[in-house]
Amino acid sequence: MTAPVVQINHLRLGPPDHPVLDDICLTLEAGHFLGIVGPNGAGKSTLLNMVAGLSRPDAGHIDLMGQCLRRFNHLQLLREIGFLHQLHDHQPSMPMRVRDVVAMGLPAYNRPWQRSVRSAAIGEALALLDMEAHADADFRHLSGGQRQRVRLARALVRKPRLLLLDEPSAALDSVRQEKLFKLLRRLCDETGMAVIMVEHDIAAISSHVDSVACLNGKIHYHAMRGENIPDEIWRAMYGDRIHIVSHDAGCIGCGVAGDQDA
Amino acid sequence: MLDLLRSFFASPVMLDALLPSLLIAVVTASMSVMVMAHRLSYLTVGVSHASLAGLGLAVTLSLPLLPTATLFAVLVALLLALMPRSKGISEDAGTGMLFAGSMALGIILISSASSARVDLFGLLFGNILTVSGEDRFWLYLLAGFVLVTLALASRAWWSIAFDAVTAEASGLPVAGLRLLLYGLVGLTVILCVKLAGIVLTAGLMVLPAACAWLWGRSLGGLWLLSTLFSLLGTWIGLLWSYALEWPSGASVVMALCILFVLSWASNWGVVWLKSNARKG
Repeated sequence: MTAPVVQINHLRLGPPDHPVLDDICLTLEAGHFLGIVGPNGAGKSTLLNMVAGLSRPDAGHIDLMGQCLRRFNHLQLLREIGFLHQLHDHQPSMPMRVRDVVAMGLPAYNRPWQRSVRSAAIGEALALLDMEAHADADFRHLSGGQRQRVRLARALVRKPRLLLLDEPSAALDSVRQEKLFKLLRRLCDETGMAVIMVEHDIAAISSHVDSVACLNGKIHYHAMRGENIPDEIWRAMYGDRIHIVSHDAGCIGCGVAGDQDA
Repeated sequence: MLDLLRSFFASPVMLDALLPSLLIAVVTASMSVMVMAHRLSYLTVGVSHASLAGLGLAVTLSLPLLPTATLFAVLVALLLALMPRSKGISEDAGTGMLFAGSMALGIILISSASSARVDLFGLLFGNILTVSGEDRFWLYLLAGFVLVTLALASRAWWSIAFDAVTAEASGLPVAGLRLLLYGLVGLTVILCVKLAGIVLTAGLMVLPAACAWLWGRSLGGLWLLSTLFSLLGTWIGLLWSYALEWPSGASVVMALCILFVLSWASNWGVVWLKSNARKG
């Protein structure tokens, strides 16, 4: 039996009386697509950064591919991970071709004595995001959405066993968002890659993910596909002032399946 | 022009200076790409000026000049890399403080030393024409070390400059590599002092990549262009220095400044022509 790709056990960050994250337990098997939702400041990005080895918990531990993530083995374990962090108005200033940005995602890129930067893998990763026609373009001259797709290709080019995405659809239009979620679903099913994705729009991801974790300091609920998240969970995360609205024929711009069929 | 070139190559002083100058040009051009990518221009100004304290210590304690200054410059660069993180001070403020403090210490130490032992003008503005056998040995040693380290680590540094968070999450030892880069900046600064002096060293560490930045599209392309601009600037500067009896360091930095203006103007011209052609 193979070990889970990620196993988080009773993870805490911050002092016990006022933790940022508390008693986080999650297990992800290969091919599982997990969405994390929660209000601002809930600790979603912090949790993702800890799984990516960028910060360390104060209690509990994270196992990746069956090995506990520690100082001495984290560089080796992280080579199995693709990571896309949240962007804050990142304006690139360095002259770079798109293919070079993607090549940075290959572990061999940083070891020039191993001359095995595979251009085929770069082309494949760009093709997944419909960016192969821009392979020789200057990265600085792309639009925000195109740059985000190139960064996604960089995260995917190493064919990771675990993909960590922090609001990957932030710069994408709704058509591109849908294409991205479908691509991730396909990669999970076909390659066994596991995905943890932080997103705000649960409606957009719910038909693609295997489960959704509701996080606000701790995991309030972990809903599996087809399972409804109870109203009291939303209120526990976002407060009593939240209005839970169901989509119906009265929604403006909302294509309800039944109406379209009719 | 041909007469000038003939007499330049007939001059033993200029021939002695040529190889070290061109080697410095290659090393500084290679480093300047990383200096631009990591936005370390002010750090090079800080470290080069702070190295005056190292030279002052060497003069006061009768220690070998270049090894002492090298050690001091590397220590200052590493201190600048570590200080802002641990004390919550911004990097430019830390550089400003250390730069001023070390410069003050250097001036006090050198002014207290016997004036016969110190060529202050040479230290401040450089003079590659007086390069000694010992200087040459240190220059080749440091240049070899800098170039080999760059060849091994340049892609990792490039990744860090582009996106440090993703680089760290992909398994690169970002903190260690950053320290190595800062240390290498310290070494390169000392390498430049003989040619351009403490005051003008930053020019050699920034201008070649600045000239190439407008044209390059990849790390390899930038490095090649930067090296070509640096070699051309050094060559023109040495010729001016020989023909007009100008100080060698200042001539080289002036030539690189003019190359930058030409590069910028021609890039602007190309962009203007392309946009006009598109409109037409």
